Amino acid sequence: MKRTFLRKIWAIGLGMSLVTFSCTNLDEELFDQVTADNFFRTDQELIAGLGAAYSSFGGLGNHSNLWSTNELVSDELIITTKGGDWFDGGVLQQLHLHTFTPDNGFFNNTWGMLYGGVNTANRLIFQFEELKAKGNPSADAFIAELRAIRALWYFWIMDGFGRGPLVTDFTDTEVKGASTRQQLYTFIESELNAIVDVLPTAKDATTYGRMTKWAALSVRAKLYLNAGVYTGTPQYAKAAADAKAIIDGAKFNLEPTYKDNFAVNNAGSNENIFVYPYDKVFNGGFNWPMMTLHYASQTVYNFTAQPWNGYSVVEEFYNSYSNPVTNPGPQGPVWLGLAVDANNDKVPDTQGTLDDRLSNFVVGPQYKPSGEKAIDPAFEGIDPDGTNLNFTPKINELGPNAWRQGGARIGKYAYELGGTPNMSNDFVVFRYADILLIRAEALWRISNADAEALTLVNQIRTRAKVTPFASLTADNFLAERGREMFAEMTRRQDLIRFGKFGQAWGFKPAKDAASVTKYSLFPIPKQQLDANSKLTQNPGY
Amino acid sequence: MTKLYLFVRRYLAVLLVLGTLVSFAQERVVTGKVTSSDDGSGIPGVNILEKGSSNGTVSDSDGNFRISVGSNATLVFSFVGYQAQEVTVGSQSAINVSMQSDVTALSEVVVVGYGTQEKKEITSAVTSIKSEDFNKGTVNDPVQLLQGKVAGLNITRAGGDPNGGFNIRLRGVGTIGANAEPLVVIDGIIGGSLSTVDPNDILSIDVLKDGSAAAIYGSRGGSGVILVTTKSGKKGTTQVSYNGSYAIENVNNSIPVMTAEEYRQVPGHVDLGSTTDWLDVITRQGNAQVHNLALSGGSQSTTYRASINVRNTNGVGLKSGFEQLNGRLTLTQKALKDRATFTVNLASTTKDAQLGNAASFNYGILANPTMPIYDNTTTSPTAGGRFGGYAERDIFDFFNPLSLVEQNERDKKETRQQASLRAEYDFSDLVEGLRFAAFYSAQRESDFYGSYSKKSAKFGGNNGLGFASRSTDQRVNELFETTVNFDKNLGGADLALLAGYSYQDFYNEGFGLSGGNFVTDAFTYNNLSTALDFNNGLGSVFSYANSNKLVAFFGRANVNIGGNYFVSASARYEGSSRFGENNKWGLFPAVSAGVTLSNLIDIPSVNSLKLRASYGVTGNQPGSSYISLQKFTRTGSFFYNGVFGPSYGPQSNPNPDLKWETKAEIDFGFDFAMLNNKLTGTFDYYNRTTTDMILPVNVPQPPNLVQQTEVNIGELKNSGFELSLNYAAITKPDFTWTVGGNIGTYKTQVVSLKNDIYNFAETGVLYRSSMGAPGQSAVQTVRVKEGDPLGQLWGALYDGVNADGSYKFVDIDGDGTVDPTSDDDRTVIGNGLPSATFGFNNSFTYKHFDMNIFFNGAIGHELLNSYRGFYENNETTTIKNWNIVKTEFYDPKVTKANVNSIHVEKADFLRLNNMSIGYNVPLESGAAVRNLRFFVAGQNLFTLTNYTGVDPEVRYKDTDSDDGLAPGIERRSTYFTTRTFTFGVNLGF
Repeated sequence: MKRTFLRKIWAIGLGMSLVTFSCTNLDEELFDQVTADNFFRTDQELIAGLGAAYSSFGGLGNHSNLWSTNELVSDELIITTKGGDWFDGGVLQQLHLHTFTPDNGFFNNTWGMLYGGVNTANRLIFQFEELKAKGNPSADAFIAELRAIRALWYFWIMDGFGRGPLVTDFTDTEVKGASTRQQLYTFIESELNAIVDVLPTAKDATTYGRMTKWAALSVRAKLYLNAGVYTGTPQYAKAAADAKAIIDGAKFNLEPTYKDNFAVNNAGSNENIFVYPYDKVFNGGFNWPMMTLHYASQTVYNFTAQPWNGYSVVEEFYNSYSNPVTNPGPQGPVWLGLAVDANNDKVPDTQGTLDDRLSNFVVGPQYKPSGEKAIDPAFEGIDPDGTNLNFTPKINELGPNAWRQGGARIGKYAYELGGTPNMSNDFVVFRYADILLIRAEALWRISNADAEALTLVNQIRTRAKVTPFASLTADNFLAERGREMFAEMTRRQDLIRFGKFGQAWGFKPAKDAASVTKYSLFPIPKQQLDANSKLTQNPGY
Repeated sequence: MTKLYLFVRRYLAVLLVLGTLVSFAQERVVTGKVTSSDDGSGIPGVNILEKGSSNGTVSDSDGNFRISVGSNATLVFSFVGYQAQEVTVGSQSAINVSMQSDVTALSEVVVVGYGTQEKKEITSAVTSIKSEDFNKGTVNDPVQLLQGKVAGLNITRAGGDPNGGFNIRLRGVGTIGANAEPLVVIDGIIGGSLSTVDPNDILSIDVLKDGSAAAIYGSRGGSGVILVTTKSGKKGTTQVSYNGSYAIENVNNSIPVMTAEEYRQVPGHVDLGSTTDWLDVITRQGNAQVHNLALSGGSQSTTYRASINVRNTNGVGLKSGFEQLNGRLTLTQKALKDRATFTVNLASTTKDAQLGNAASFNYGILANPTMPIYDNTTTSPTAGGRFGGYAERDIFDFFNPLSLVEQNERDKKETRQQASLRAEYDFSDLVEGLRFAAFYSAQRESDFYGSYSKKSAKFGGNNGLGFASRSTDQRVNELFETTVNFDKNLGGADLALLAGYSYQDFYNEGFGLSGGNFVTDAFTYNNLSTALDFNNGLGSVFSYANSNKLVAFFGRANVNIGGNYFVSASARYEGSSRFGENNKWGLFPAVSAGVTLSNLIDIPSVNSLKLRASYGVTGNQPGSSYISLQKFTRTGSFFYNGVFGPSYGPQSNPNPDLKWETKAEIDFGFDFAMLNNKLTGTFDYYNRTTTDMILPVNVPQPPNLVQQTEVNIGELKNSGFELSLNYAAITKPDFTWTVGGNIGTYKTQVVSLKNDIYNFAETGVLYRSSMGAPGQSAVQTVRVKEGDPLGQLWGALYDGVNADGSYKFVDIDGDGTVDPTSDDDRTVIGNGLPSATFGFNNSFTYKHFDMNIFFNGAIGHELLNSYRGFYENNETTTIKNWNIVKTEFYDPKVTKANVNSIHVEKADFLRLNNMSIGYNVPLESGAAVRNLRFFVAGQNLFTLTNYTGVDPEVRYKDTDSDDGLAPGIERRSTYFTTRTFTFGVNLGF
């Protein structure tokens, strides 16, 4: 009896412990995720990994990121508050008025995009270095490409924020404080110097959308052009030389028609040096029609989604195209005011210069594909053509009661009829016309009477079907650069370089020197200061 | 008293013996008197029932009674505050009964983790609600049965969406991380799905409130535990019961907006020529049918209960409702000379739901009241020619509210299956008091969605192309547990020991696809291959799968010393695959003790008094799997050699140290009964500290791969008291009145948002909860500040209206300029969390009638009324595009929408949650029908509140961002509240 009992107890105990100790493994089993343990093994996986180096460029076409921030603090674009619409806690008005603060989300988004790019480049460089050590022959080319991309991220960091942690080694896990602008400048320059001759020079399908020698030279040319701002020591001769290297490379030339560079299918442009290829199917995120067009523009373009009515063009900037004095050329009717004809149709009420580059804008009355007028039932009483949708270059106020149809809209990239919120146009990062203007400016800075400088500018003007300039001045050069490079993220740099960043435009009053110094740099985002105790804020914020 | 009790028991035993000796099989009259054993006085109002029939009577004012009984009758004497007695009549014609007062009204059995305990032995904060105390009316979700019934347990659902779920918070907000809702355990199935249980099948629900009671559930007990026990069969009975009801439901409250007539008086209005009451257009009278048929019974060795539940509900919103079929079988069989007990539980639920479109409520409120419903033209301002004939306008953020519902389908099919087997073996013949049990359960939940927006639908219709989606999710979990119980009397002390092992794994998977561009609407979501989006590369597909598992060892020791002192200690050592590799296992201990003071000293007019104190540590799991790992994911596309290829990049930073959130809780309480047990009550004070909450913090990138890492961070403190009282106020023969109530108070403080390395907020302040479009996207309305209470609504302080129509705000920092976007001129403008919630119940019986009236409410919280924040103004956009919200606060001088303190309102409320009146049909003794009751119940009959929004109910999280840090906001798509009347019958035979 006793033994039976003991045996039973023993059996129970054994049974329980068997059950118990067999199931204590707590490793996570993955099904729909990859980790470094089960990825980056095949060539295909590696190429997919390399692709991540370019993913951060996807932020270029979004609202509230690098491009938006650069444009909205310049005299090109503005987002007015239309009643309750587009106030967003004042962050948009702050950008225009140069009163922005470190908690403005635009800056954190920008920082995130740029440092996300740096980080990915560091990681991939580390991975390809390991492959190189194992004797992979193509690793060197990939590493050069990644260093070029990283140099571009750091160029934008240095240009926008002025300072930032300089991290180049993926395995270095120490949190770093900010390097100075000079330190970043030196790093970018030395990196580009090291790789510019290793990068591919072909202009074909293998290099489309990738970092080439020409793209790297474009970065370095811009670095040198603005060197006076960045370091106090101008480098115009070097800028001119880099631009000339691209020109002499003979891979690019001006397209006969300006707007072809921005067509829905602009992959064939001979002028675009480096683009980020967007696609409505494969690579969404280029949202300009949503960001700029009016709600009722949906019916004009038959978009699958309703636009948001945000970004407009600053009135003076729009006017710089049609002004016959500062931009001489053939005259004709242009949209400026609010006049209507007997049919209550808006008419181009002013004579002005018919610059070919007015294709940069959507302005005037809007018609549906059927030819009917597009309707905006919530029109303001002041609008003389009633409910008809038309974009007037005039913007009445920054807010709170800005006209919903006020301001010309961005028309730079062609909008696809029946399009989705994601455009298929490829985003132009560097363009040959910019290179010509860089060389022109550098030469003109070295010598105001430089003949080649004037010739280069007039190449641009002639292509735009306006009258060539007789001579170059700071004002007419800056204005010409503005007309050509509208919405291509150069304007903030240009205004700062020309010392015009403190000027009044739109609803922003003229600012004193201290203010210009402060707002010429973006604030280090509050979230980044929260996350990294070694970071300090830029002066004045 | 004990002596007396023994005497009565002996006396009764003699009676019983005598009764059985001389029994005659014939009907006759029995008379007698019921007296109290305390003082010998007659007790009026005692229920006297012939056992097994509905034949019964009630004692008169002197305690005398008279009843006709059949042969072999047994009489059951019952009365509130006294122990029920059974007396076999035998040959007696006079029976005098002395009723023993119920020494402890605390003698009921309470379900606790892994077992049951007598209430008098409980040393932690546990509340048990029996089915007779559940909320009345049409109740589709089991937790609704408890709404307002348990002090400290708050169950909220704003609005009356029949498919909407409830938010459950025990003792306020205990975490700002994941898993803020209590763990649900159904008949031992941990994490059981409440949708497998029909409210009709629930016997009791027990709530483990404090840390010591919940600690046996370890890393999942942090937000409290709700134990659901379903009904089962009883030995020696065979019963059939049917419960059926039909309910009608109407809109109770929405947002006041201008009528067409009022709107036409507003300067600048857009008159579209019609008069439409949009709220009327998009709602209807809802209805609900519930049928429950249950068969139960049992022989010596087998008991069973089987039930079928049918529910058919149509909500007040068009196309919102469901049809549900639920079946449940419980079978218990004894074997091996009754030493082995096997219990099988099977449950299955299928639910076909139409989800309606909550946006129709939003746009129903916004819609211009002069707009026609239909307009089939192509040129008018409301031309709906291309929108299926529904009038539409080309303005921002507007859709025809009726078209939203009628041209959009959103369907969901749910399937829930649950099976469990418990095998117990009693080893008492070998070792006295030794029992062993093994338990296995499996649960499978699947949701299958389909949605379609017609080509002509402006909302979702993809600009004339149509859009469809289908998706399915499946969640499976299996639980295996073994437990050993050992009970021993150590002379003077009873010892109860429990040890166990638990293994549970979870596997979730799903897939879905969506695309548009159809030639015809004919297929809706049933033929997705015809969507040209897939041919054009614009369709989207997804699939996923993930798993996690939990392993635990647990034990508990309960000591009962002479029925006077009680001590309990428990611990669970638990590991989870979701924890980081350096922290896979956590220990969750608890200890509690109690003393029945009334056994030791005599306190005048107090029948019993037990003091208790407890301390327990519980945990909380990460909200999802794999968050401690470094993962890569598809980051988009990349143009490579002329074609787009996928690019892969990092998705998360690794955190191998990730562990559980920890909550330590102290609870002091007492349970008492006094005034001859007429007044009973429970009081608790709790104080909880939650640390190591699992939250994403911003980290510098580089060196980190991505900008956020999930870490353990922060500290939250939480305290309050809970009181529940029950008083049998009137106990007359024909009339009884019992009144009861409960209240729980809450104080939640954000102590810290950082740890040694990371900051959730560098400056100790976070802003949450964007107000939204149009125009107020960057306006954060909630502030979270270290050292301050959780739930602060934050904004500018209203100070009238400026001449230009903008709001005038108080210059808080006194610097002469008012900047409502700066913190200098913003302040705390409300508190989103309540300071107390309460319930208040009255039940009456009068002869064969019964009536129950139940109120609940909350005080101390405010709500931000979003509708007012956007649309209660004369801004041009509002007037031209939409209708104007018109509450008592409407000020036509305001021409600029800008949310501020004027839009934050006190939301204290008292609600007549439910009220029911029933009639028990008196039945002849021995009739085939055992009981028959008719009832009528009303739910949400009225609400006393000054809040002008849809529902003053507490919002524990922001419904737009699903953010637990941002309570107190009523968003714009809140389903209207409803009022329900139910007529029903309960039939048993």
